[in-house]
Amino acid sequence: ATPATTKKKDKEPFEIDFMSPMNQQLADLLYTPAPSNATISLPKKDWKSKTRNLLPDDKHFSSRDLLRLFLKPKARMGSRKSAQQ
Amino acid sequence: NHVAAVFSDAQKSNTGHRKLVINLRKIQEACCYEPLSSKKKQAEYDNDEDEFNTEVVRCVLRVLPIKKSETVGDRIVKFLGIFLRVASEKDNQLVADHDGALPETPTSRLTNAILNTLLQLLSTKDKIVRFRATQISAHIINTLDTLDDQMFHLLRLALLKRIHDKESSVRMHAIYGLSRLAAELDEDQQDEDSDDDDASSGVLEKLLNVLQNDPSAEVRRALLLNLPLTPTTLPYLLERARDLDAATRRALYARLLPALGDFRHLSLTHREKLLRWGLRDRDETVRKATARLFRERWIEDCAALPAATAPEEETEDGKKKPSVTKVADPSLEALLELLERIDVANSGNTGGVALEAMSEFWDGRPDYREYVSFDSEAFWDEISPESVFVARTFNDYCRAKDAQGDGRLLDMLEMKMPEVTKFGFLLEIQINRLIECVRGAASGGPDGDGDEEMEEESVQREFIVEQMLHMAISFDYSDEVGRRKMFGLMREALTMPELPEESTRLAVETLRLVCGDDRSDKGESDFCGIVLEAIAEVHDTIMGDEADKTKSSTGEESFHSARSEVSNDGSASRSKKSRRSNNDDGEEEDDDEEKAIREIMVNMKCLHIAQCMLQNIQCELEQTVHLVTMLNNLVIPAVRSQEAPIRERGLVCLGLCCLLGKNLAQENIELFLHCFARGHASLQTIALQIITDILTTHPSLLAPVASSGHGDETSATISATEPSPLLKPVLKTFSKSLKSEDVDVQSTGASALSKLMLSQLIIDPDLLKGLVIAFFDPETSNNASLKQALTYFLPVYCHSRAANAERMATIATGVIGRLAALREAFIEDEDVEESEMVTLSVVGGMLVDWTDPRKVIGSSEEAKTGKLKVEEGAAPDSDMIHFVLAEQILEKLVTSQTSKDERKVLFSMLSKLHLAVSSPDPGLLRTVLELVAEAIESKVASDATSRNALTKIQTTLLKLMHDIATAERGGHG
Repeated sequence: ATPATTKKKDKEPFEIDFMSPMNQQLADLLYTPAPSNATISLPKKDWKSKTRNLLPDDKHFSSRDLLRLFLKPKARMGSRKSAQQ
Repeated sequence: NHVAAVFSDAQKSNTGHRKLVINLRKIQEACCYEPLSSKKKQAEYDNDEDEFNTEVVRCVLRVLPIKKSETVGDRIVKFLGIFLRVASEKDNQLVADHDGALPETPTSRLTNAILNTLLQLLSTKDKIVRFRATQISAHIINTLDTLDDQMFHLLRLALLKRIHDKESSVRMHAIYGLSRLAAELDEDQQDEDSDDDDASSGVLEKLLNVLQNDPSAEVRRALLLNLPLTPTTLPYLLERARDLDAATRRALYARLLPALGDFRHLSLTHREKLLRWGLRDRDETVRKATARLFRERWIEDCAALPAATAPEEETEDGKKKPSVTKVADPSLEALLELLERIDVANSGNTGGVALEAMSEFWDGRPDYREYVSFDSEAFWDEISPESVFVARTFNDYCRAKDAQGDGRLLDMLEMKMPEVTKFGFLLEIQINRLIECVRGAASGGPDGDGDEEMEEESVQREFIVEQMLHMAISFDYSDEVGRRKMFGLMREALTMPELPEESTRLAVETLRLVCGDDRSDKGESDFCGIVLEAIAEVHDTIMGDEADKTKSSTGEESFHSARSEVSNDGSASRSKKSRRSNNDDGEEEDDDEEKAIREIMVNMKCLHIAQCMLQNIQCELEQTVHLVTMLNNLVIPAVRSQEAPIRERGLVCLGLCCLLGKNLAQENIELFLHCFARGHASLQTIALQIITDILTTHPSLLAPVASSGHGDETSATISATEPSPLLKPVLKTFSKSLKSEDVDVQSTGASALSKLMLSQLIIDPDLLKGLVIAFFDPETSNNASLKQALTYFLPVYCHSRAANAERMATIATGVIGRLAALREAFIEDEDVEESEMVTLSVVGGMLVDWTDPRKVIGSSEEAKTGKLKVEEGAAPDSDMIHFVLAEQILEKLVTSQTSKDERKVLFSMLSKLHLAVSSPDPGLLRTVLELVAEAIESKVASDATSRNALTKIQTTLLKLMHDIATAERGGHG
């Protein structure tokens, strides 16, 4: 894979040749329509998002919640004697 | 060919476009306009025009197969846009004399020719062609002022098909084109309600649908910034404040909202939500954008003079031009209005967003910091919820900065704030006004219905007092005069039964602060003494009144009557408000009821003060006589009360007392376990919290106890221990909590267990398994607290300690088995979508990650990267964790019946294990190797991938084995 990528870097800046005549390859590319709209569309199930792509409510849980008592939120856990106001 | 040459040059850079546009225009003019106005040659010119158009279309076609990543493509698109705009302007100038409807011009014909061609290609099979065709169409729509009606209609239909294209880049440009069409249709709607009405709502409705549902964040973001701002679209746009994608949220706060105009047009709910979501966003840049919005835009809406409000000017790419309007001078009135507009009386309470908003405000507005001042009489005379909040948050901000080492602000604060003694007098005035107001509201109007105005005012007064108390808690009380003033004031305030609960809580905290700590004097015991006196007084005041009225005065000591006979009257559980109900009614029954309600009120109030006090002390309960008295006379009776609110509050107080004495805790923990077993949900939650706090504070309660033959305390007896008798019921309680139907009980149980497991007080693997299953169980999908707590806890737990990760490894296969069963049952349920439950492979991946030895703190891997230095020789024990997991998985595969899905996940987990460690434990290595051989032999692997996983693991292990053998031989030789 490595030689390919180095080659890419050295490549001349890309240019469109506006003078060139229409060739078969281009014509095929341009004039092959999709067999049906469905084949070039998202599957229907992706048209709806159950969450409307929204975040859930943040509860802002943090390490602090693990380090304090439920009943005395100001006192740190396990340091009863030193937890002066 | 000149046209192709122009296009060829145009792809090289954007800088030459101006000149090239002129060139191309010249060619076009030469083809389309006759130098002399002779009608005979018209046909010839038409012919030339056709040729010109064909040539341009031909060049456009050459762009279509150009990949999205090639910039030359975009340059041509841009060039084409500029040309069409310039050319049509010039055309229109030439025909400007003919008034009325816009006539057909050479350029409009050219545009139609291009768009007609592109229309066919919008549904090409090739995605690049589809992308370019959509891009060019959308760009033309957005560049030109007018379009042919017929074309307009066709484009709309074709682009609408593309808003659900497979490729997000196609969708992006389809909506880009349609947003403009929708905006135009919307304008039309104003004056004519024809068919366009339907068409417009049709397009807009579809776009709004995409805004909510498109899986690509880029598409949603593009829509957010391109949809017209109308009352219809606004709610949908604002909803993106919670979009899954941070950049989309940022776009809303940093671009859409600043451009929206006066924020006061938003509803109060929207203002509050936007501020709350933005300031508390997970992403820092969103938080910053919100802070700027608040302190730079919203305040300006309130502060700017009418003359200064220039219309919003924006350049095309949405960047604001350097603001010409001067920032308005600081104004207290504007700030007060801003606070009123975000309903500070509500959002300024604890947990409300106004605190954060103001902290950001002060941080970014040094001009306002200079400007405000709070030491004038007038400021405090005319105090309002808004103005007191300005003072309170300024005080908070300056002190927080001081704590971070910036002392200058503290000096500034002192200059602007009344001194402590003076503040004490000011607070006293406000407390008195509040009390008056509460009394007024309680005594009610002439009809005894309560005075609504008074009630409203008392809410405001309450807010003012709370804010001032918050300030008081932050003060420095080294000045003795000020300290005494505040001490006296708080002592007095606590004896007032009318003081509302939150104010009471803050007053207790202030009192604790001014009493000083125990190192200098006996601060804490003074504090207890004063609060207990206040409780007695509150009790006597209320019950004394009652006694006079009912003429049944009891001479008993206050606490004894506080115990009360409320338990006799179960029907009396009424809300506080009923206390104001008819007093003068002579009926005896009503009198009794009145009395019972009053007693509940008194008890609730006394218990509340006690609870606040208990939260602020740390002494040994049993050595403090006052506290024991309170426990026996106030708390214990409350716990036994028939009234649920009293009982719950009593239990909290008892729990707090237990934190102050191990013996008391030991005696009562059974009671709390019983409350959980028998209580309703809210009682269960409280019980869980109390039990957890007790175990945390007195870890020895769960320690193993010496079994029988009560020992002399020598080390010889250590072996003769058995688990604490409390362990089993405690484990059972937590296990039950995780299965509770009540979300609060369940999430409290989970976070309680998180705490206890992190501190190693509970190491039960079954409970860990329970937590992991609760985490993945679809039943808990609506319990965000539980999910988020466990999202935080599980990796922290495993990665902080090798033993924890190993424990996780031992339950992993059990978890997979249970979840496989759950998933099977889940999918069978027809009402649900399969995607709503995680797949087993996701679960497996997470289990492997949690147990990854390289992620455990102190692992040899971590030591290698230099993150943490491991002492030489102290071999970290994390290396073997994935061996344990491998053993578990193979064991399961070889010995148990497993479903196909389950086996698949187990094999995929096997292939992800990290087993290449430097010095494996030979015993475990051998065991795993034997299990691999057994697995291969018994052919549990039914497909190639699984067989490969086994072979791969066997190779790795054999190599390790070989290394060990070599090392041993080397050592012996």
